[in-house]
Parts: sequence; structure tokens; C-alpha cells
Amino acid sequence: MAISFENLQFTYFADRKPVLAQVSAAFDASEITVLTGPSGCGKSTLLYLAAGIYPQAAGLVQGGRVTVEGVEPASLKPPERCRLVGLMFQNPELQFCMDTVRNELIFCLENIRTDPAEIEARMDEALAFCEIAHLKDRTLLSLSGGERQKVMLACLTALGPKWLLLDEPFANIDDEAARAIAAKLGQLHRERGVGILAVDHRLENWLSVADTIRFLDGGRLLPETMDARALDRARLEALGILVPGASYGPQLPPARPGEVVLELRNLSLTHQGSAILRNVNAQFRRGCLYAVVGPSGCGKSSLFGALSGVFPYRGEALLEGRSLKKLRRQDLGKIGFVTQNPQDQFVGGTVRREILASLRRDPNAEARSEEILRGIRLWRYRDISPYLLSQGQQRRLGVAALMAYDCRCLVCDEPTYAQDRRNTVAIMDGLARQARERNVALIFSTHDPQLARDYADEIYSLKEGTLHACAEPGV
Amino acid sequence: MRALNPACKFVGLLVATFVLAAVRSPWWNFAAFLLSMAAILAARVRPGKLLLLLIPVALAALGMFFTGYRFSADGSMPVRSDVFLVGSSQLWNGLLQASRVLAYAGLGYAFALTTDRIRMVRSFQRQFHVPQVFAYGLLAAWGVFPHMVQEFRRTRAAFRARGIRVFPVSPALLAPLLVKSVRWSEELAVAMESKGFAGSEPRTDFSPIRVRWFDWVFLAVCCLALPAAAVLFT
Repeated sequence: MAISFENLQFTYFADRKPVLAQVSAAFDASEITVLTGPSGCGKSTLLYLAAGIYPQAAGLVQGGRVTVEGVEPASLKPPERCRLVGLMFQNPELQFCMDTVRNELIFCLENIRTDPAEIEARMDEALAFCEIAHLKDRTLLSLSGGERQKVMLACLTALGPKWLLLDEPFANIDDEAARAIAAKLGQLHRERGVGILAVDHRLENWLSVADTIRFLDGGRLLPETMDARALDRARLEALGILVPGASYGPQLPPARPGEVVLELRNLSLTHQGSAILRNVNAQFRRGCLYAVVGPSGCGKSSLFGALSGVFPYRGEALLEGRSLKKLRRQDLGKIGFVTQNPQDQFVGGTVRREILASLRRDPNAEARSEEILRGIRLWRYRDISPYLLSQGQQRRLGVAALMAYDCRCLVCDEPTYAQDRRNTVAIMDGLARQARERNVALIFSTHDPQLARDYADEIYSLKEGTLHACAEPGV
Repeated sequence: MRALNPACKFVGLLVATFVLAAVRSPWWNFAAFLLSMAAILAARVRPGKLLLLLIPVALAALGMFFTGYRFSADGSMPVRSDVFLVGSSQLWNGLLQASRVLAYAGLGYAFALTTDRIRMVRSFQRQFHVPQVFAYGLLAAWGVFPHMVQEFRRTRAAFRARGIRVFPVSPALLAPLLVKSVRWSEELAVAMESKGFAGSEPRTDFSPIRVRWFDWVFLAVCCLALPAAAVLFT
């Protein structure tokens, strides 16, 4: 029982270099394998090929083959394929097509032509296995990221594939939810013999269940394997993989706390009748870095959404003593927002226009935009759409565009979401350095306790709708 | 009303709107509106929610009343009442136009507020033979809609944060939404396929939506009795 790749070569465009080059490997169903490597190295591509999604949905196989249990998954029709391989995605928001948990499970079971008389029992069994029977009649929209991933796992349990392929399933959820799902995956593997192949940047949530770690770098699968119970920390660091529990080693100038730039007074927010934030009070000073941590669904994104004007709120948010709701147009850029997805903040048609949008009042805008773009190594892409840049480039552009403004406070919602160690360090070092040098208050949310420990001068924990200063994330 | 087969309900209410279009009587329109409201309330829709939904309808009806009142086919207007749907009495004409708005809105709400969207799509698939790829694609798109609203607000906030004023339908604002919707549709299609969905493959049906005796009664009332009454009594 294995997934095997034989000299597989794959590219997204015929005239570009291959994303996967001569990959040969066999992953045995008797082990839980985690495949790791830097962003953009081809991990997800490899998974999609094993799931039979590629090359039908995108790309071109230039040579070799991939088989699961001796069958080429791409040759199977979806109802047969999903009994062989099940795929769990990174983004829990875009995996469902029905409205409730119950209807989604029915949809899955109908797809594989389950006898209608058996559907109710199969559905209940899958929900009980994932310990989410209480969510059966809930709408998917009302669930947190962690709960949605559990529902996805219940769907896969109901479909009963021989292999489970997981594409960074914990990227959007907190550690507690991640560990609960990892434990369920381990149980699925032990009790039902389901083979598991996962790709992830962060290994720590896998350590309790995984057997083997493999590495992909630049589209090539490295020959070495590592026992998940005896990590070679030096080797992981050499490969640029985040070592569980290890510091990011931030290179930061010392903090010089300035005056209070942003103050929250009794800020409250309700969504669909339920209170998300209750009387949040906090002060943020210029030149300081603040981390906001908390479990999935605790309201971190809602808090940042309220500050950016996406969600209405009660109470006050004051920027330099002036209510955010009443900011004058010329003052709007004083608070900048770096979103999880850099594409959410683009306003210009080209890379250069993106920078120019922030320099509208600068008489030397053209010259300064060139200087900024050369500084972030994007000058050669100045005339193309920002959407065509790679994710790392988009992130650099997004931050530079906001910093071009005379920004006093920068609010970053999960700025290192789904980034590998190298990119995480580059993004956070860049943000933190800018914040220190330009005396900006930097507020960032994260699921990664180590990141909060390493980069924040102060850590705030958001629990049950209120914000508490804490010495350690999770306290 | 909730128990009715959605496809039958759709056909019945559609025929009713055609009948009302052909009848020039405010009383018929008011009767249709009141019946719709009764049906909605009987289906346990919250009265507060209904009242809120009726505010724009009431405003439109008021506007139409004054339009009809002002532009009636009296001696001051260069139109003939037998050519245009206008009466010679200003009040009658105003009431006719206003009641039309109420009747159509009432029938529309009677369908929208008492129909479960999943049952509706499944019913259309079974009774109208809508292809399953279209039916489930529609459901998936429906699921994405709340995200679109959220993304719209987020994109607008990004523009505002940079001090750029944009209109709600500005191309600059809609371009990022288009890019994202294409990306989302691709992700959703892959997710559906990985759960075994294929547009052309047969599936089982957990709870088939059938046409029952009361659906036939509803259809008979809307498609036969109502047109007959319209012919006889107007």
C-alpha cells in the first residue's frame, strides 16, 4: 500500500522551468509522513498530483507518473477517486458547497452513491468519530476555522478513503485545535489503516502522531528521511525549516516607547447577535511591537476588522486622540493595515501605481516610488499587475506601500500566515525594523506563540471577547 | 407554505404574477398581497423581519401611487386608457400602480421567505431536470456570497485606509473582487471534486423532493382557478 512517484516532472507552464523535477519516492501507508520544505518548493503541487487534481485542473506532466495503490488517480472519476484519496485543504472557508454540516455530509455520501438508508448512520458515525456530533445542524458559516477543519475531517471519514492527503491543514487554526485534529488523524491511521501524507511548514503539531519527515527543496525530493520522534535540529535549521520550540532569532533594535498612538476604550462588537468583543481597553505606543494571540474564532480578525472599518463597533478607538470613525481623509493613511492575504490591500493597477497611491501628496512621488521599488527589489516588475507577483513579492509590496505613507500605527492580521521559516523571519524582521526606525506602533496577530515571544514587546491575549496583557502567549 | 414543493410553488406563483399583470384591479392586487402576507406569517417568519423587508416595498408603492396619481389618462395626458395600463381616475390609477408593487413584492417574499434554498435547488434538479453541475454550482456560489460581501467591505476599507475615495461600483473596487472570485471558484471546484462530485456521474438521493397531493392542489388553484376567476370576474 503506497503512493509512489516515478521520475515525475511537472510544470504549470510549458515554457517555464519545472516545479517538480524528477521526483521519485514511495510513501508507505503504514507510516504518517510529513513532507516539509520552503514556500514555493512544490509541496502542495506534489499533493495535488497524488490526489489526481493535477494535471486535469492545471499544469502539465512532462514525464514520469504517480500512482496510489498501483492506480493513477487522475485516471479515475471523482466518485472512485475520493474512495482512494481524500484531500484536506489549507483554507477551511472554501471547502464546502452546502449550508449546514449535515447537508455537507449528505452531499459527500450521495456523491459516492451511498444507499440512502445508510446515510444517516454513516453521517452520525463520522461526526461521533470527530467528536462534533453537536455541530450537526449548525451552519458552516457559524463555525470557527478549527471546527470547519473538523467538519472536513468528518467528511473525509465518511467518504472512507484509503489515503488522506493534507495540505497545511493547521495553517488557519490555533494550536489546541490543531493538536485535537492531529490526534484524530493518528486514530484514523491506527484504527482504520488510513495512509496519511501531509505537507506543512510547521512540524510541532505533527510530532505526537507523525512517523517520518521528508524534505522537498526547489522541486526536488531530498533522499534523506528523519524520524519524527528524534528530530535532528541542526539539520532542520540548515534546511531552513522551523525547529519546534526554537527562536526565530529576531534582529531588532531596542524599543523606544513613544507616546500613545492608538487607544481602545470599551470597544465592543457583536456579530449576528452574539458578542465577539466586550469592552476591550488597550493602549498602543509608538515604536513598540504588540502581539495579539488567542484561539481561532476568539475575535482577533474582528478586532482588526473593526479598526479598519469593516465591522461596526461600539465604544471608542482613538488615533492620536481622534476617533477613527471621524478621521479626516488626509489622516486616513496614518493607520495602515497589512492583511492576511496581501491581495486584500492592493489598490493600484500596477506595482508602481500601488506605491504611487501612497505618495499622492509627495511632489517627488515618481522618484520616491522608484527608490522604494528598487529597495524591495521589485523595480523590474513596476509595470505589471500586483496580482501577478509571487506571494512573497506581494507581501513586500504591500508593506512598502503602507510604509510609504506617513503611517503612525500598522495593524497586521496574521502577517506570516502559511509562510515558511525564512519568509516568516524576512517579513517580521522587515516589519519590526520599519516600526522601530520610523517610530510606528506595530500590532500583529498570530497563532504562533514563538513568533509572539520573539517579536513582541507586549503580548495581549484575546479570550472570551476581552483583551488581557500577558507575559506568555496562551496565559 | 414551507411544505410545498419548491418547483410547484415557483410555477404557481409565477402564473399568479402573470394573471395579476393581466388584471387591472387594485382589489385583486391587495388580495394577493394580503394572502401572501398571511402565508408568510403562517410559515412562522418573524413579523419583525417581515416588517423590515416591507419598508422598501412600502416606499416603492408610495412612489408608484403618486406616479399613477399624477400620470393618469385624464384630459391632461396625451395617452389613451385602452392602449396604456392607465385609468381615467387619478386615485384609481394611483391605487392600481401601488397595489401592483405590493402584490409582486408579496408573492416574491412568499417564495423567498418560505423556501429552503437547498430544497429549492434539489427540487429544480428533480422536477425541472436542471443539470446537477449547474444546481450544485449554484449552491456553492451561494455559499461564497457572504464571503464576497465581506471581501467587498475589506477592499473598500483598503482604499479608505490609503485615503482613496471610491464609489461602491467603481471598477477599481470591483477588479480585486473579480480576481478573488475566479480564484475562489477554482478552489471550490477542486474541493467539490475531491469529495467525489462529478457533474455527469449518477448520485443517490437521500431525501428526494416529491410532488404530493397538496402541491397539485396549489398548482390547480394558481394555474387553473385563478386565471378562470380572472376571466369571469374582471
